[in-house]
Amino acid sequence: MDKSIENIWKEGFLKSDALIAPKLNNLYTRKSIHIIDKFKRMFKINLIAIVAFSFIFLIVSFLVGIPIMGIIFFVTLTVLVIINKRLLNGLERLDKGVNCYEYLKAFNQWIKMQVSVNRRMSTFLYPIIFVSMILGFWFKDAKGLPLGERLVHKILLSFPDIYLIFGIPLIGFVIVVFILVLLAFFGGRIYQWDLNLIYGRVFKKLEELMADIESLNN
Amino acid sequence: MSSDFYNTSILPFAGIIIKLCRAYTNSQEDFEDYYQEVCLQIWRSKENFRGDSEWSTWVYRISLNVCLTLLKKKKNNNQHFVSDSLPAEEIEETENNHAFSDEPLNLLYDAIRKLSEIDRAVIMLYLEEKSYQKIADIIGTNANNIGVRVNRIKVKLKKALDG
Repeated sequence: MDKSIENIWKEGFLKSDALIAPKLNNLYTRKSIHIIDKFKRMFKINLIAIVAFSFIFLIVSFLVGIPIMGIIFFVTLTVLVIINKRLLNGLERLDKGVNCYEYLKAFNQWIKMQVSVNRRMSTFLYPIIFVSMILGFWFKDAKGLPLGERLVHKILLSFPDIYLIFGIPLIGFVIVVFILVLLAFFGGRIYQWDLNLIYGRVFKKLEELMADIESLNN
Repeated sequence: MSSDFYNTSILPFAGIIIKLCRAYTNSQEDFEDYYQEVCLQIWRSKENFRGDSEWSTWVYRISLNVCLTLLKKKKNNNQHFVSDSLPAEEIEETENNHAFSDEPLNLLYDAIRKLSEIDRAVIMLYLEEKSYQKIADIIGTNANNIGVRVNRIKVKLKKALDG
């Protein structure tokens, strides 16, 4: 090679094809597909994890003597998974033929709908889980008697004049109802917090991408 | 990204961005991704530009950082992606749609792609006639080191081109 590298460089780039800049829009299409695919993957993994957890918990609950809790957990989480699987099927039906901004917008709408459905379910989900825990431990066998009844007997020995409602101390009943109301009230917020913890980064990227494309369109 | 910003603040430096991106990629598809990502990051980081250095230095720095980051990501994702030690025949396999019409330039690029990541950046900036001081500013070292390094890289490249 006779030429110096400096000359090869200079002369090579004098040709017109050497410095053609690529178009910019393609990037957004790739990024949107990437973000949505990532979300779908995470969502599927999340559902599988819930199914696996509910199965394992069902078995464990029988082994440790709290089957009522395990069964309610299992049924509740199964309903949750079925509803979310149906929502996921709706996501698969989004039209991929539209441009990336429209696709992202459709995805964003799907997310809003999914969040709204799950928020409403969370109003019931967390109280049901709490009730399942109470019932699970209440009916747990404790030397021939359910644990709850044994506990009430002990309380009655210390406080014989305590007021009972359906065989449960009124104070305990009030506390449980208060916690249930709190969980129902904050259920949506707990879900939102949980959602942001898992998918927060994906949602942030989605927002940034949409803002970029909007800015590009302007 | 507004077309005004692209035309006035990026396009004048598109040449060096294209050259840098080509040095870190082995296919047209990757090259386009890298170029677009660099443009996007320049646009996103424009608010952080405080004017301590020239805009061109800022653009080179972002371009280089984006290329190195993407290369690292790609290496992590795919062990077979080109690295400093990738055999030449593997590079040739992926380069069919990534070549220039100028053959000596293609050979030079092949040789550059076999350099380490930082050596690639140094020689690209040197070939763009940036001063040692400016290269040092962009890479984050001192000008003396750059002088020594440029000479070593030139010897390596010459050997590769002659061999």
